Amino acid sequence: MKIWPVRQLSGNRNLPLGVDALPAIALFWLLCSFALLLIPQWDRLPLWLLGACAVLAGWRWFAQQGRVRLPGRLLRTAIMLGLVGLYIATVQGRFTVETASSFFVLAVGLKWLETRTSRDFYVLFFIQVYLAAVNFLFKQDILWALVVFAAIGCLLVGLQVLNAPDLPRQLRSGWKRLGLLLLKTLPVVVLLFVFFPRLAPLWSVPLVSGQARSGISDTMRPGDISNLAQSSARAFRVTFGGSLPGYPERYWRGLILDYLDGETWRQRDQDPIRRLGRVNLDGGVGELASGEYDVLMEPTDQRWAFALDNSVAVSGNVFRTPENLFRFERPADSPIRYRLALSNDTSVDPGSLSEDEQRRYLQLPRSGNPRARDYARELASGKRPVDVVNTLLSRFRTQAYYYTLRPPAMPRDGIDALLFDEMRGFCAHYAGAATFVFRAAGIPARVVVGYQGGDPGAGGEYLIVRQYDAHAWVEVWLPGQGWVRVDPTAAIAPSRIESGLRDAVEEEGSFLENELTSPHRYRDFAALQWAALQLDRINYQWQRWVVGYQGQSQLDLMSRLPGGFGLRELGYLTAGVIGAGLLVAGLVSALSLRRGEKRDAFGRVMLSWQRLCEEAGVPVRTGETPFTLAQRLSAAHPELGNTPQLFARAANSHYYSDPPSGTPGEDVQRLARLLKTMKRRLRRGSARASEHD
Amino acid sequence: MRNRFKQRWNTWINRRVPRSDSQTLSQRNIFILPTAAGVVFGILLLIMLITGINYQNSLIYLLTFGLGALFVGAMHQTHRNLSGLTLALVRAGQGQAGEEIPFVLRVTAAREPGLGLVLSVPDSRIAGVHVPPGEFRDVVLPVPSAQRGYLRPERVQVETRFPFGLLRAWSWLRPATAGVAYPRPVPAPEAFGQLEDGQQLDAARPVQGSDHADLRPWREGDLSQRVMWKRYARSGQMVVADWEGEQGSPQWLDFSAFPGVDTELRLSYLAWLVCERGQQSARFGLGLPGETIEPDAGPAHVERCLRALAVWGQQPPRSSGSLAHGTRNTELTDLAGDAR
Repeated sequence: MKIWPVRQLSGNRNLPLGVDALPAIALFWLLCSFALLLIPQWDRLPLWLLGACAVLAGWRWFAQQGRVRLPGRLLRTAIMLGLVGLYIATVQGRFTVETASSFFVLAVGLKWLETRTSRDFYVLFFIQVYLAAVNFLFKQDILWALVVFAAIGCLLVGLQVLNAPDLPRQLRSGWKRLGLLLLKTLPVVVLLFVFFPRLAPLWSVPLVSGQARSGISDTMRPGDISNLAQSSARAFRVTFGGSLPGYPERYWRGLILDYLDGETWRQRDQDPIRRLGRVNLDGGVGELASGEYDVLMEPTDQRWAFALDNSVAVSGNVFRTPENLFRFERPADSPIRYRLALSNDTSVDPGSLSEDEQRRYLQLPRSGNPRARDYARELASGKRPVDVVNTLLSRFRTQAYYYTLRPPAMPRDGIDALLFDEMRGFCAHYAGAATFVFRAAGIPARVVVGYQGGDPGAGGEYLIVRQYDAHAWVEVWLPGQGWVRVDPTAAIAPSRIESGLRDAVEEEGSFLENELTSPHRYRDFAALQWAALQLDRINYQWQRWVVGYQGQSQLDLMSRLPGGFGLRELGYLTAGVIGAGLLVAGLVSALSLRRGEKRDAFGRVMLSWQRLCEEAGVPVRTGETPFTLAQRLSAAHPELGNTPQLFARAANSHYYSDPPSGTPGEDVQRLARLLKTMKRRLRRGSARASEHD
Repeated sequence: MRNRFKQRWNTWINRRVPRSDSQTLSQRNIFILPTAAGVVFGILLLIMLITGINYQNSLIYLLTFGLGALFVGAMHQTHRNLSGLTLALVRAGQGQAGEEIPFVLRVTAAREPGLGLVLSVPDSRIAGVHVPPGEFRDVVLPVPSAQRGYLRPERVQVETRFPFGLLRAWSWLRPATAGVAYPRPVPAPEAFGQLEDGQQLDAARPVQGSDHADLRPWREGDLSQRVMWKRYARSGQMVVADWEGEQGSPQWLDFSAFPGVDTELRLSYLAWLVCERGQQSARFGLGLPGETIEPDAGPAHVERCLRALAVWGQQPPRSSGSLAHGTRNTELTDLAGDAR
C-alpha cells in the first residue's frame, strides 16, 4: 500500500470552541475597548465606579497572565454584593438614564471576573456595543465619536482573534481586514444613513441628567453668573441668513426672573407645561432667508431656547410665550437645532399691563435694602419713568462703579451694599439692583437672563456663544413703548457689551482664571486659537449634518433632490436601495460563479465522468489513473466498446500535453462528446438488460 | 413527520453534495446561517435602532447601520472562506474497530484563503485549520469506529465562523472511498495450540498423512524452523518447505478452527492471531469461507489479512447507498454464516 506523503499536518485536536482558555490577544482588545468606552463617561460616572472597573478589568488581565487567580464563587458573590450595595447607596433611588447607564458599566465591570469562555466573551461584546450606543446619548462631539468608533474597532478585532487565535502571521492583520470590510460596506452605510426614514420617538423617555449641566439656571443669586464666566464651554452656535447683527445687539434672551425672594431672583411661574403629545421635530428646512437664523444649542436639560429681541419662530420645534420668550416642547437633552427670524415689525401697540402683571412686575420683599428703597422713592418723585431710568443709568456711568469678576461678599442687604458701599459687582449684581430700584420706584421691571455677545467661528460663517457670554440685564415697562431693554452693565463697562467679557476684565486679568486648559484663555497664541476654531468648525459641521441629521433635515435634503420626497417615498426609497443592493450582490456573485465554472470546464467534465463510472457500478478509487478506471469500466460494460479508453487517452493528453494541442477548449469538447456517447450507450444497454428480464 | 422532513433534507443535501473523494465548494453546496451569537447580535441591532429612534440620536443610527452592514459584509467574508476551497480525501485510514481511525484530508485554497476552518465528523473535530491562497494543508481527522468493516463517514463537515463568529458557513465532503476497521483482536483460546517459540522446534515436521510439500527458495520472513537444514548442509542452498493440505496447522489460520464460536468473535481471534504472527514475522496463511490468502509473511501480508478479516462478508459501500458510517450489512454476514 502506498503511503501518501503528508506534507503538513496542521490543526489542533479536539479543541471545541468555548471550553479552552480565551486567547490573551482577544482579551487584550476587549479590555482596550472597555477602557476607550469609559473615557467619554469619566465626568458622569462616580469615581469609585471607575476605580472598581479598573481593578476588576486589571484582575482579569493579570489572571490571564497567570499572576493572580480569578476569584471563586464565594468571593465573586461578595464582590458583586459589595459593589451593587455601593451603587445603591450612590444612586439613592434616583432612576435616570444616567444611573441606568452607570449600572450598565458596573455590570460590565463585574462580568470581567467571570469571563472564562468565548460565550462570556460574546456577552461582553454585546454589552460593550450597547455601551457604545449609550455613550452616544451623552457625548456627540466628533472626537468622542471617534473614540467610541475606535472602541468598536477594538471589539471587532478581538472577535477575529477569538475566532482564529492561531492564525499564521501573514494572514493575521485583523485591522486591515476590518478596514477593508468597512470600506466595502461604507456606501451601504451612507445610503442607509441618508435614506432610512427618521421616525418620531416611539415613546418619550427624557434623558434627565442627575447632574447639573453648566449653563444658566432659573434662579439668580448675586455671584451665580460670575461662576459661569469661568467656563469657555459652548452654549450654542448661530448661523445667520443675512448679515450679522453688531456685537452690542447680540442680546440672547433666555428667561425672565420676575420674583425677588430675599436675595434670590426666581421665576414666579414655572414654564407652562404642554400636554405630552407628538413632539414636533421641525428644526427648519431649506436655505436660510435673509433675517432668519439657525441656532444649534448644546443640551441644557431645560426647555428654554435663546433668541434675539423681536424674533418669531420659523421652525416648529419652538413656540413663543407671552413674555416673548421661546420654549421647546421637551427638555433639550441632546443638541438641538431651531430656526427663528428677526421681525422688522415694531409698530405693534404694546397695550398696557394687566392688574396681575402690574403686581407681578412690581413685587418686592416686604423688607430689606432700606437705603435702596429710599433712593428709589427719591428718584421717583415727580419724574416720568424714562427719566428715572436715565437717572439711574447716569449714576452708574458717572460714579465709580466697577465691573468685576471678583466681587466682594455682600451677605446682608446686598443691594444697598452694592449701590452705596462696595460699588463693585458683576452683571447679575447690577441687573438685580437696578430691577429692585425700578420696582421700588413704581416702574414694572424684570431681570432677563441669557447671553450677550458671541465670537465668529473659523471662516466667520457662524457665531459661537460660550458660557462666559452669560449675562443678565433688565427690562422695564414704559407706557407707550412696552418692554424696553435697560442694561446697567453697558453703563458701567461698555466694553463688555461692545467686545465681550475678555476686554471688560482685561485689567483685572480674571478672564477664565480657573480654566487653565481652555484655548480661549490664551488669545495671544494665534496657532492655538486657530486650531481650536478649526476643531470647532469641524465639530459644527459634524453636529449640523451628522449628529443633527434628523427627520426634518432628512426631509430638507430630500426636498432638494428632484421630485418631491415625503416620508412615504423615503420608505419606498430605502426599501428600493436595500432591495437593489441585494439584487446587485446576488447578480455579481452569480456571474462570478459562472465565470469560475467556465474556467474549469475540464474539471466539470472529469467530475461527470467519475459520476458516470460510479453510476455504472465502477467505484472510483483514489489515485487511480484514467486508464485503469477506463479498463474496469469497459470490462463491466462491454457495450461501451472502446469509448472509455478513448476518453482516458484524451484526458491524459489534456493532463500531460503542455500547451494543450489544438485550440483551447477543443479537447474538452471532445471529452464531453465521448462522455455523451458513453451515457447514451449505457442507457441503451440498461434498457436492453431490463428487456431481457 | 419530523423523520420524514429529516430524510428529505438529507436527500436534498446529498443531491447537492455527491459522493466523491474530492469536493470543490461553491454557492451550490455551501450553507450559511447565523450562529446563536449572530441571532443575539441581530436582536441587539434592533434594540439599538429603537434606542436611536427614541432618542433621535443620529450617531446611534450610524453605529447601528455600520454594524448591520458589517454583518452583511461578514456574511460574504465567511462564505468566501469556504468558497473555492477543494476538500479531498487523500487517504482513508485503517485501524482497529473501537478506536479512532485517521483519515487524511487535503484542503486546497484557490484565490481566497480559507481561514479558521473546522473539520469534523460526529464525535471528532479538528479546529484551527488555515490555508493561505493557492496552498494546501493536509489534516488528519480521527474518525471514531464502532464495528469492524468498511468505515466511511457519511459526511465530513468543513465549517468556518471566521471572522466574527456571528455566522457559520459549512459544507460537506461525502467521501466515496471507505477506510477499514479491523476486528478488535481478542486473544484466541489455548485449544488452538499456542506454542512458544522454543516449543515450535518440530513445527516444520510434516503432519502425518500429508505427503506433499512445495519446496521453494528462502525468502525474508520465513521461519527458521521451516528451512530444510539438511538440504542446506548438503548444497548450501536455503530451501523452505511449504506443507500443503495441513488443516489446523499453525501456518494456517482458519475460520473453521473455532467451532461453535460466534462469527465476530472468530474474526477477532483471527485478528489477534494475525497480529501475533505479524509480530513474530511468522509465515502464515488465512482461510476464510469464500476467501483464501496464501501463506506469506511481512507487514503487507499482515495488513492484507487484517483487511480481509475486516471486510469479510461485507459489500464495499456503494456510492449511491446511504449507509450510516460504521454500520455493517448484517444480512450479508448472516448469509455467509449459513454458507459455512
